[in-house]
Amino acid sequence: MVKKLIYISFTFTLLLFAWASSGQQRFPKPEFENGYVQPSPVTPEPRAAAMEFFDVIVLLVALSLASYLAVKKRSRQGILWLSVFSVAYFGFYRNGCICSIGAIQNVALAFADPAYAMSITTLFFFLLPIIYSLFFGRVFCAGACPLGAIQDLVIINPISLPRWLRKVLGLLPFIYLGLAVLYAATGTDFIICRYDPFIGIFRMDAEFHMVVLGISFLLMGMFVARPYCRFLCPYGVLLKWMSMFSKWHLSITPSKCIQCKLCTNSCPFDAIDFPTNEKEVISTKSNVRKFLIYAILIPVWVVAGGFIGSKSHTFLSKANPNVYLAELLIAHPELKNDPDNIDVQTFMASGKSLETLVGEAKVIRNEFYIGGWLLGGFIGLVIALTLLNQVIYRKREDYQPNRGDCYSCGRCMDYCPVDR
Amino acid sequence: MKNKGIIIFLIILAVVIVVVIVADFTSTKPGKQGENPFLYDVSEFKKVDPALILYKETKDLRIKFDRPAGITYNDGHLFVVGDSLLQIIKTDGTLVSEIALPDAPECIEVAKDTIFIGFKKYLAVYNMAGELGKVWEPFGEKSVITSLAIWNGNIFIADAGNRKVYRYSTNGKKLNEFEGKTSDDVLHGFIIPSPYFDLAVNNEGELWVVNPGNHAFENYTFDGNLRAYWENSSMKIEGFSGCCNPAHYAFLPDGSFVTSEKGMVRIKVYKPSGELSGVVAPPDKFKDDGHAPDIAVDESGNIYALDFDKKMIRLFEPLRALPE
Repeated sequence: MVKKLIYISFTFTLLLFAWASSGQQRFPKPEFENGYVQPSPVTPEPRAAAMEFFDVIVLLVALSLASYLAVKKRSRQGILWLSVFSVAYFGFYRNGCICSIGAIQNVALAFADPAYAMSITTLFFFLLPIIYSLFFGRVFCAGACPLGAIQDLVIINPISLPRWLRKVLGLLPFIYLGLAVLYAATGTDFIICRYDPFIGIFRMDAEFHMVVLGISFLLMGMFVARPYCRFLCPYGVLLKWMSMFSKWHLSITPSKCIQCKLCTNSCPFDAIDFPTNEKEVISTKSNVRKFLIYAILIPVWVVAGGFIGSKSHTFLSKANPNVYLAELLIAHPELKNDPDNIDVQTFMASGKSLETLVGEAKVIRNEFYIGGWLLGGFIGLVIALTLLNQVIYRKREDYQPNRGDCYSCGRCMDYCPVDR
Repeated sequence: MKNKGIIIFLIILAVVIVVVIVADFTSTKPGKQGENPFLYDVSEFKKVDPALILYKETKDLRIKFDRPAGITYNDGHLFVVGDSLLQIIKTDGTLVSEIALPDAPECIEVAKDTIFIGFKKYLAVYNMAGELGKVWEPFGEKSVITSLAIWNGNIFIADAGNRKVYRYSTNGKKLNEFEGKTSDDVLHGFIIPSPYFDLAVNNEGELWVVNPGNHAFENYTFDGNLRAYWENSSMKIEGFSGCCNPAHYAFLPDGSFVTSEKGMVRIKVYKPSGELSGVVAPPDKFKDDGHAPDIAVDESGNIYALDFDKKMIRLFEPLRALPE
């Protein structure tokens, strides 16, 4: 507990330095001291290109260090200090932008819109953690992700969630990933950035409701470890897939497991797979039957999901400003004369005709129709595979980290009495 | 149940998270935006403390110009140019004479019995009877003459187009010119984003040139060497704001500066040191985003503002003697 307080205090001190060194604007803002509150921009000011490449180098170093500390050095202490650094640097100093999680949207939009140019540094931020996961597991989550790190620092009294609840909530990141890609690809919104609960804390300029969101996640994180990482993070989905095939991954014990069971309660993320109990394994015949049923149902889930997704496309597309505005102006043409409606007035001032807007909205809605099929099909597939996974028997003799769910935080290693 | 309190707490937090996200997602739609947080609202800066107002408007003189251009005061008369016309008016508003001009004038200055009128690219000299004396050669293709000042046989001409000040003898002989640079390798001298570039000579014979892009007054020797300056960039009442202010100015008899600003139109008085004395006319006296009135001052410290938007000369008289 004392150690934890030291880490938190150190992080706080670092963020104060980051705050103090944030510098002055090139041109001073006007002195709006008479009741006018200068609104904060949605994204932080751009950094110099050289600094962006420096950030990529820092990420590379952080990932390499996290891999070394988790796989080779086996140092929980080192990973914790790296987390503190990541919160201070990638979080408070860099204002959390651009981050690997949000880069999903840039990549999706770059694929969907040839006119959208994505910077090379954004691509690095997207790819590097994925590549490292393929080799070393989720070391990005362990110590290089500021969102994960800030949650990791507040874990105080983690409780274990029931398996069924973990499985159900575990579907949310897939849905979030699908929605984020759909909204980004259609140019609708970057919802990952918009609902990043910690970005406002890092920038210290959040609106009230985002402060509430961030604090709620941190309070929740005191008892449910890393709630955002486990039950929302869309990037975690990609890292999980990669990590499952990782070449080298953190292990609880450096050599042979002595079955002491000391590590069983060490993981706050319920990411340790226990040795299989042969007696509890249901009969092979029953298992095979279930497996076959679930396997046959996979296409049904996919088609059903796609069908529901396609039927939802009208609702989903309302989030697109053009679609919403077109519907609004068709339903309420009198709004064209409403001087207080900023969006309508901005559209009118653009000189674009309503017919053009409606034409654009139809194109976008069609994209949502196709996207709805893909999104629904993807979610259906995820549900089907999750069900199928329940009846797949994997024999385990030792206590092992679950390669997909393990964040490589190294807590379990500290509990292992085997030294070498 | 084990951990019952924690579970209730977690459920509440989960509800809060869902409510925040759903409420934000459904509320931030086009047409549902509230007040525009990025609205450029400077209305607060238009409010002026009544204690700062040192003048009151006592008289308005209607003028018949469609496009008033400039005003100056000399020996009990106001000389106003605009359209293609020069009018000489008594301070009570009586028209003394009206002289047709060959072109659209930009500015005017009077010395003894000679009237100098600045057109866009050249100067013309008239006598008090309205007879054309001499027309000067154009200053250049890019010239935009905006202001004239006369002192002791010298005439200073502000050229906003070339960002230069020319010094001529009143006979028309060029003496020198300068760009407001301390040396040739300095990148910027006078910064003039729009054709507002004023200059004047006070009763001490000091030439003060406005550097509008810097919101500065710069005092030059007649040879063009910078001797002193003061500047004040601010939207507050004591400063100048926007791309190019003050747009016009004149000297009071005690050497104070009477400044006129565009954008947020206001007329103010500064001590010779550059410290704000007070306000002649606050922004609510003028049209929003209007033109900066040209300024003329008489021997008694009365201020004549040529209001380009209302097309009138507005007389402001001091409420009390200006502080020393």
